[in-house]
Amino acid sequence: MNDMTDGHTVKSFNSDMNRLHQLVLRISELARNQITDAVQCLEDEDISLAREVISKDQEINALDVKADEEVIRIIAKRQPMARDLREIMTINKIVADIERVGDLARRVARLTLHFYDGNNNPPNSHLLSDIPKIAAYADLMLEKAVRAFDELDPELALEVIKMDADLNEEFRSSLRRLSTYLMEDARSVGHVTDVVLGLRSLERIGSHAKNIARYVVFLVKGKDVRHESLEVVSAEVLDKG
Amino acid sequence: MSCANIVNSMNDSNTNGSTTVEKVNASLKRRYARERRFRRMGLSAVMLGLAFVSLLFLSIIGNGYSAFQQTKVRLAISFDEQLLDPSGERNPKVLSSADYNGLIKNALRQAFPAVQSRQDKKELYRLISNGGSFRLREMVLDDPAIIGTTRDVWLSADDDIDMLVKGHIDRNLTEDDRRVKDSVIAWIDQLDQQGAVDLAFNAGFFTSGDSREPEQAGIGGAIMGSIYTLLVTLVLSFPIGVAAAIYLEEFAPQNRWTDLIEVNINNLAAVPSIVFGLLGLAVFINFFGLPRSAPLVGGLVLTLMTLPTIIIASRAALKSVPPSIREAALGIGASRMQMVFHHVMPLAMPGMLTGTIIGMAQALGESAPLLMIGMVAFIVDIPGGPLDPSTVLPVQIFLWADSPERAFVERTSAAIMVLLGFLIVMNLLAVILRKRFERRW
Amino acid sequence: MLTEITTLNQREAGAMGHSAILRDGANKVKPGAGEFAGTVGKITLADPRMSARNVDVFYGDKHAIQNVSLDIGKNEVISMIGPSGCGKSTFLRCFNRMNDTIDSCRVTGEITLDGQDIYDKSKDVVPLRAQVGMVFQKPNPFPKSIYDNIAYGPRIHGLAEGRDEMDEIVESSLRRAGLWKEVKDRLDQPGTGLSGGQQQRLCIARAIAVSPEVILMDEPCSALDPIATAIIEELIDELRENFTIAIVTHSMQQAARVSQRTAYFHLGRLIEVGNTDDIFTHPRHKLTEDYITGRFG
Repeated sequence: MNDMTDGHTVKSFNSDMNRLHQLVLRISELARNQITDAVQCLEDEDISLAREVISKDQEINALDVKADEEVIRIIAKRQPMARDLREIMTINKIVADIERVGDLARRVARLTLHFYDGNNNPPNSHLLSDIPKIAAYADLMLEKAVRAFDELDPELALEVIKMDADLNEEFRSSLRRLSTYLMEDARSVGHVTDVVLGLRSLERIGSHAKNIARYVVFLVKGKDVRHESLEVVSAEVLDKG
Repeated sequence: MSCANIVNSMNDSNTNGSTTVEKVNASLKRRYARERRFRRMGLSAVMLGLAFVSLLFLSIIGNGYSAFQQTKVRLAISFDEQLLDPSGERNPKVLSSADYNGLIKNALRQAFPAVQSRQDKKELYRLISNGGSFRLREMVLDDPAIIGTTRDVWLSADDDIDMLVKGHIDRNLTEDDRRVKDSVIAWIDQLDQQGAVDLAFNAGFFTSGDSREPEQAGIGGAIMGSIYTLLVTLVLSFPIGVAAAIYLEEFAPQNRWTDLIEVNINNLAAVPSIVFGLLGLAVFINFFGLPRSAPLVGGLVLTLMTLPTIIIASRAALKSVPPSIREAALGIGASRMQMVFHHVMPLAMPGMLTGTIIGMAQALGESAPLLMIGMVAFIVDIPGGPLDPSTVLPVQIFLWADSPERAFVERTSAAIMVLLGFLIVMNLLAVILRKRFERRW
Repeated sequence: MLTEITTLNQREAGAMGHSAILRDGANKVKPGAGEFAGTVGKITLADPRMSARNVDVFYGDKHAIQNVSLDIGKNEVISMIGPSGCGKSTFLRCFNRMNDTIDSCRVTGEITLDGQDIYDKSKDVVPLRAQVGMVFQKPNPFPKSIYDNIAYGPRIHGLAEGRDEMDEIVESSLRRAGLWKEVKDRLDQPGTGLSGGQQQRLCIARAIAVSPEVILMDEPCSALDPIATAIIEELIDELRENFTIAIVTHSMQQAARVSQRTAYFHLGRLIEVGNTDDIFTHPRHKLTEDYITGRFG
């Protein structure tokens, strides 16, 4: 499908790699849908959609297992080297991160059930106003990270890594805003806690997107930048000679 | 998808009436028939060859086996002191020059007292080979005490008598058409009835030299001549051939000169052998003044002839040594010389020896070049060294084949049998050597 | 439908990603297989055992090795990999002048062993080969006894005085090659009667019997089964303590397993050299990458 997966003398190696690559794209698409749907059901107070999101997480988990199996099979059968090896290892990690994203989306969907299913008072809509915004941003990060993987674009990955700081900033300002609600109305403490957990989940999604972006840098550059500072990463990415 | 395609195409061919299997089966019969035909042709070629070889062997053996026996006639010889040693001094000189023929004549006259006419007596005396007198002289010189006694002695019959006894002369022909007269046949039959005629193993055939008298002619001289000639050939051609092969194969640089040499060696192997004879005549005899008819010169000429064979065989043997052995030796730090003499040559030795023996066998069977250097002369004495004039087995056969006497026909065949025997032994030796020293790697 | 669109995008992006890889690293790499801008990676070492400088090898008119420079360090295993006909074996054979045996072969440039030029006119090839031993692709024991196989080298070089000393050399060589236990009771039997792996270990023992400094191995396991191969690889690892080993191999896994440094050859050129760990995880030259990921041809 791309330069990373194609070109092997053994053609079936190509198709193995392509299948795995497509699997990653599919899982990430599913995960992104989950994020959108989880936020949507919260906005629409749609309990059935929330239930759907929760049950759909099993699908992601199944694909995660499938991807792991595929990785093991390829390692055993092909003994991948160099960039094949890096791609396999990267995919292995990306899939784990995306699976976590799926779990986090399910948590957000749970909020809907929490708020609207049953006899509880639904929360003030102002409380929820930050969720779609942060969700959209995290989703964008995930989208870009996956695209960086698909297109082997370390610069795009670097962008995602930079975006994570913005997301954190956003998350912190949301927390500040929520604390003003709490000061206004102490009774809303239950709802605020839930919303904070939801926001926290969305912020974690952004972190996973950042992890993925770092794997992509490793994939393309061959250097592990997971625990490096932003300066080091961007120096690595921009070092073109 | 592609699987389905194949299935479809198979179905298509089914509808066309014949599948691949059917087509194959259809041609199968023809193929096997062709194979059988080829096999039969090959087999018949081999059979034809075998038939000719066995025909050759049968005719040679049929002609020649009787030469290994010799007709002997028993005569009561009285060693008459008057005739042998009138002075009674037993002087060896006197004894050796005495008239032993007279003893035989006396004995014959006594055996056939009825024979009176001069003409008939002459015929009678011819019953016994004139080699008989030598035999009697030997007996007397060995033991002078027998002088004055009478002994029964088995003496070789003349070659015509020999032929008659062996049945090679047809008694049914008229007297004029055969070499033996009726009276002689009557005498022989008489002797036969007395038990005085016998066929005995012909040891003289192997020990004596050539002779005009077939019953005295043997291949001893020719065998010794062949041995001396081959000895000279072996001593010269093996070291020279092997050395040349090793140099060319292992040391010589690959360039135009070595290519030229290689081509010339191959050409030399194809040069007609008589040319080598001419060369030998011109160089060794006329230029270097070596003696004519000598095994030394024969050996030199045959050396020239066998050298290419040995060189080519030795090079092939060297080539067949796997390069990995050479690399192993060189890799451990052996010099080229050590590599060749410690590793390559031992492995090539069986091949070299086989080539040498084949070359020797060729040389043994060679006659043409030896004719040119005078080894075709009539030589009675058995050579005592490589400088004595001599002849060799194939030339001896050539000489005898030219002789008119009936008795030489069987001797020719017998000599051929001996020559073939030598060749077979040498080839067997080559096979055994190869098997024995062959090493697996 | 959606997939098709992504595919299209990927193609464009793929080309970009590709050049991104080529641009990376020590900035010597240029795209395209036809151009060659020098070996990628560090060819020099601080304290080399052997070192080749600007070596060219010609077979007649064929330029088999083109301007290769490479150091071989002390007590290291360096592997040379590359497709067939890339010249790796030819280059290896330069180090003990085995190429001298081929008439049409000409070597230029400089190769030193402990600082001395081995192609110097005054340098004799016999002691060189005692210092730089060789193990070949096909096990090639002499058709002699196991004992004589080992003893041959020491004997021609006069390394042993008397039978006892020779026995000692034979035993220690076989022990170091891990063959002693298997053959000690049949030293007088032919070396050719051993199994393929044992024969190759016999050849290694034969090479170390003359205590060389460097052992060259030309695809030593290509004729062996995986178990025999594993035993030899383990042996190579042990031998590293005392010897410098240069090994040519077709098996990249083997190169990855046994060597500390790896050199990649392509069409007579040394394309890339570096730590084995780096070469097999993120090689810097596209040709190296293509070769070790199986994208060749």
